[in-house]
Amino acid sequence: MRLLVVEDEPRIAELLRSALGRAGFVADTVASCADACATLALNPYDAAILDLGLPDGDGLAVIGEARRKGNPIPILVLTARDAIEDRVGGLDAGADDYLVKPFAMSELIARTKALLRRPGGALGTMLKAGNISFDTIGRDVSVADVPLALPRRETAILEHLMRRLGRVVPKAVLEEKLYGMDEELESNAIPVHVHHLRHKLLDGGATAEIHTVRGVGYLLAETKS
Amino acid sequence: MTLARLRSLQLRLAVQLAILYAVATAIAAAILIYQAYDTAETLGERDLNLRAADLARHVVPGTNGPRLDLPPQLAAAYQAGDADMFALRGTDGRVVAASPPGFSDVVAKWPLPSDEPSYFNLRNFGPAAQDYHGLSVSVESPAGQVAVAVARAKGANVLVSALLREFIMDVAWVVPLLVVVTVGVGILVIRRGLAPMREISQVAARIGPATTHIRLSTKNLPEEIEPLVAAVNRAFDRLEQGFAVQRKFTANAAHELRTPLAIITAMLDAMNGNGEMVKLRSDVARMNRIVEQLLRVARLDAVALDVSGTADLNEVASEVVETLAPWALAQDRMIAFAGPDGPVRIKGNKHAIGDAIRNLVENAVVHSPPRSEIAVNVEEAGRVSVLDCGPGIAAEQRELIFERFWRGKGTASNGAGLGLAIVREIMNAHRGSIRVDQGPAGGASFTLCFAAEARAAEPAAEHATAG
Repeated sequence: MRLLVVEDEPRIAELLRSALGRAGFVADTVASCADACATLALNPYDAAILDLGLPDGDGLAVIGEARRKGNPIPILVLTARDAIEDRVGGLDAGADDYLVKPFAMSELIARTKALLRRPGGALGTMLKAGNISFDTIGRDVSVADVPLALPRRETAILEHLMRRLGRVVPKAVLEEKLYGMDEELESNAIPVHVHHLRHKLLDGGATAEIHTVRGVGYLLAETKS
Repeated sequence: MTLARLRSLQLRLAVQLAILYAVATAIAAAILIYQAYDTAETLGERDLNLRAADLARHVVPGTNGPRLDLPPQLAAAYQAGDADMFALRGTDGRVVAASPPGFSDVVAKWPLPSDEPSYFNLRNFGPAAQDYHGLSVSVESPAGQVAVAVARAKGANVLVSALLREFIMDVAWVVPLLVVVTVGVGILVIRRGLAPMREISQVAARIGPATTHIRLSTKNLPEEIEPLVAAVNRAFDRLEQGFAVQRKFTANAAHELRTPLAIITAMLDAMNGNGEMVKLRSDVARMNRIVEQLLRVARLDAVALDVSGTADLNEVASEVVETLAPWALAQDRMIAFAGPDGPVRIKGNKHAIGDAIRNLVENAVVHSPPRSEIAVNVEEAGRVSVLDCGPGIAAEQRELIFERFWRGKGTASNGAGLGLAIVREIMNAHRGSIRVDQGPAGGASFTLCFAAEARAAEPAAEHATAG
């Protein structure tokens, strides 16, 4: 898995590279907009991590350039909190996700993996959360290598939760993804499915748990050891 | 304080002016009275001289030396009262005539006068024991030189005395009246003159660290005060500049700290940690938070928040909950969100509002007991409240907590004490307010209230599709 890191601060670039290396990625680092554009045009990267404050311009220009050339590469933007307001429009336009500095390295790696897990992303086939495995092609779920049979909708809910492991999946998003326009949707349909799914995972001895964020959605988190 | 001082200046000027007027009026009156008495005395002396000459004219030579031959009505006038006395002596010192007779005994002992009139005073003379003022002179008469002494009782000149008394009384009542009028007019004039100063002191009361741009107007000010106000304004200019430099310094310092902090954060993350490492990580997280808050404050101070956009409170608050829920879960707390079905649109800056809500939720998570739930509620009326199950905020501290760098006693807070100050400034920029109460569960309840006029008109189509 090859990543491009665009970061002008050499020590942070080095730290990103070694952290990503430990997570199983190969990362190249460049330090300017021009180098980033040139490298992206030449090499097929699986994802890019882009710092916005670069010496020769705004990192958003790199996204614009890549998208103009039809490059669909997932891009994770790193930005300072006080700069979000000015740039959020640009982020919405081209970046796939953004992370506010200062961030924890584990969060960066989780977000990067999430980007790669997106449909069409490089990590598309096998999702993992704790001891839960999800094969997105065969749609087989197993807990601690023991297969777990789940109904279609519970499987779909688990897939969305695992793709956004450690982050909240809004209930509205689940409703939208699971039910077509014509289907009659009962107001408690999703909570009922989640309730069943949660118990099946617990009974199977899963080391990841579904938490309810009332009023917003659900969150799959690995159980703290 | 300022007002009291102004008043005392006013009073001081008025009182001093009044004293000045009183003294000046008294001196003027005294001079007038003195002059009047002087004139009256001169008149009296002229009268004595005339009478002496008149008496001498009626001295005729007789067989036994000179003799006084007064016309009857004049003689009657002299004998009518004891106000007027006279005594005539010949060149040999013998008394020719005297009225009343007792006067001759006094005059007989005196040496003969010269041509130059000499004046004398007699005390407690005669049956009425009156004071007399008189003249002794040697005058030419038809019977040769005679020594004439005439005297008149003091105060006998009734007319002159009455006039003088009336004049004094007139002046006397005018003096206090003048003083009262002067003080009154003085106070009015001074008050009016000082009115612009009261106005600028009210303006000055509004100047503070957050309002360093206010200047005092020199319009309508007395010329004497203008240089002072101008100097104060220049001092404010310098202070404002100093504040700006300080803010810039804070912002720059915080900004420069970011990269090394990011490096430390990343390196600590990369190390496999035992207990010490976990503590170090939380210390660095705290430093990161402080630096971010300092930058936020510097930014709020430096540029006015753009509140011209539209924000859906429902969306902003639920996104904050969505973002913070994983972190809260890691701290063993949960966050719940509740809001109306439709959007709650207000005019404002959604990132700043999100920041405000995030600060409140972060505080709530830090101050709540483990396994408790933090509630974030949005109301249709444009209110967002954050409730926790922590110890709550004591009533006497509910204003203090919004001050910059405020830290609760004994709280294990991990911030710089800027979070709530930032929230309040964001709310001020939106013309809204923040309120803190005791929540129904006993913990703190923070409510962001957006002003009614900040409610953005909802497009009609929104209702149609929602129904």
